[in-house]
Amino acid sequence: MKGNGRRIVEVNDLHHTYLRGSPLEVTALKGVTMEVYEGEVVGIIGRTGAGKSTVVQHLNGLIRNREPGKVIIDGQDMSDTSLDITTIRQKVGLIFQRPEEQLFERLVGDDIAFGPKKLGMPREERRERVRWAMEMVGLDFDRFKNRFTFSLSGGEMRKTAIAGVLALRPKVLILDESTTGIDPRGRRDLLSRIKGLNREHGITLICVSPNMEEVASMVDRIYVIDDGRTVMNDTTREIFARPEELRRYGLGVPQVSAVASRLAEKGLAMPRTPLTVAEAEEDIWRILSS
Amino acid sequence: MEDFEFLRNVTIGQYFQGDSIVHRIDPRTKITIVMILAVINSFILSFTGNAILLAICTAFVLASGISFKFMLSGLTPALPIIAIFALMQLFFYGDAYSPYGMELVVFWRWGIMSVTNGSIQLVIVTLMRFLEIYFLVSLLTATTTTTDLAYAIESMLEPFQRFRVPAYEISLIGTIALRFVPIFAEQLEIIMKAQASRGADFGGGGMFRFVKRTRQMATLIVPLFVDAFRRAEDLILAMEARCYTGGEGRTKIIRFRMERTDHIIIAATLILAVMMISFRNHFPV
Repeated sequence: MKGNGRRIVEVNDLHHTYLRGSPLEVTALKGVTMEVYEGEVVGIIGRTGAGKSTVVQHLNGLIRNREPGKVIIDGQDMSDTSLDITTIRQKVGLIFQRPEEQLFERLVGDDIAFGPKKLGMPREERRERVRWAMEMVGLDFDRFKNRFTFSLSGGEMRKTAIAGVLALRPKVLILDESTTGIDPRGRRDLLSRIKGLNREHGITLICVSPNMEEVASMVDRIYVIDDGRTVMNDTTREIFARPEELRRYGLGVPQVSAVASRLAEKGLAMPRTPLTVAEAEEDIWRILSS
Repeated sequence: MEDFEFLRNVTIGQYFQGDSIVHRIDPRTKITIVMILAVINSFILSFTGNAILLAICTAFVLASGISFKFMLSGLTPALPIIAIFALMQLFFYGDAYSPYGMELVVFWRWGIMSVTNGSIQLVIVTLMRFLEIYFLVSLLTATTTTTDLAYAIESMLEPFQRFRVPAYEISLIGTIALRFVPIFAEQLEIIMKAQASRGADFGGGGMFRFVKRTRQMATLIVPLFVDAFRRAEDLILAMEARCYTGGEGRTKIIRFRMERTDHIIIAATLILAVMMISFRNHFPV
């Protein structure tokens, strides 16, 4: 297992009901269990409405758990009412779907500085944070800091919004379908930068994504959530080696993994379930040359 | 504690599916009844009259099958404002208002503040009148789909088209406005969560931090407006793409017909209105 073995996120048999006590009551979570260790990259997959977003919103206290179940972040119990929630939100950064919708300042630099300013950071340190965050998402500090927020392109706006969360220097970064709706190249670029955050800065990543290729190339371990429950929990390779089970939960596997399992049906078993095209290529060469 | 579930608090404009008698009445009838009762509401200033009216409104709520408790819970966010108004009336209205059929009695006086039987009566009656209107309006939107409402408004305005009243456009504007209330509530929730995720703090902050709280609003209002304009543009495009030209010559699949029950209900409400308004000076208190 990757990571240094320190448990940073722990969710135990979590339940949640939206709009409790109203005619529109919906039970979203009926028992989700997961744990994430520091430095790991973990994926959460599940069909629409399975409860993925509800789970991740518990992780930084946007939804406080008042129902059965426990959420423990960095050793602190989230149901504790005396807990200072802002310190948790600083530790756990959450990036939403279409994060560019949260931009409000006139200038890019000011928008990214919003979080550090809220923390009461001195000007110089704030500037450093903004510079670092912009560098991390691939926006040139000097070129972009004085650009008008609403004149940016869609991709640049999204990078600005992500930098706004990164400027808090979170220990855990959660991406809730944050790469949907941008072009393939922008997406690849963004994903490799986010992966870099994990590799170079040890930031723990939790990725919620509907795109199996993306999950396969990013994460070490996967939790599958269906109808508000954790139904599968294993390493990425093990999960994608079970396509029938995934299909039952309305999910699929990356195309290369699907091809591999079809080959195995025809009697051409691969040594491992390939997750990316590069892996498949490597394995096929090995088979052909032996 | 911060709570981001706004939808729970927005009861006005939210439609709740059901099959009660209140759901099934013709939407035009419903609007007519609501209008007649609102007129009575604005005339009646006595305890007895308002008690009767409140009883009628409560009966409608009970008949609709929508939980009474839930209906009242929609008032929670407005409670502070209601309380402030009630206190103002109680202390500053004293001498200016004397209810009919009563001698003015002063219970307490201090400078410009006073509490009289008139101001106490006013506070209670105002609260009753407020509740009546609140029940009527929320019930109308809770038991009628927006399309039905639009249809009703359009068909009730139709006779005025002769005088160049744009009946269809008015009903369309109304429908769109109502339809967007829950959407914006949801969007606001998302934006609040996103801002909270990067350090914004919307919880409490004490009474005297107006400036800070007002500035905090910018982090919500700006994105909300940007989103509203985007949605408006999308809506325009979608309408144009379907060759939308307006109401003229448009036909409908479902046509409402006023039935005998509708006529009876309207007639009964009218009789009630005439009686209540003509006897309004004869109620005991």
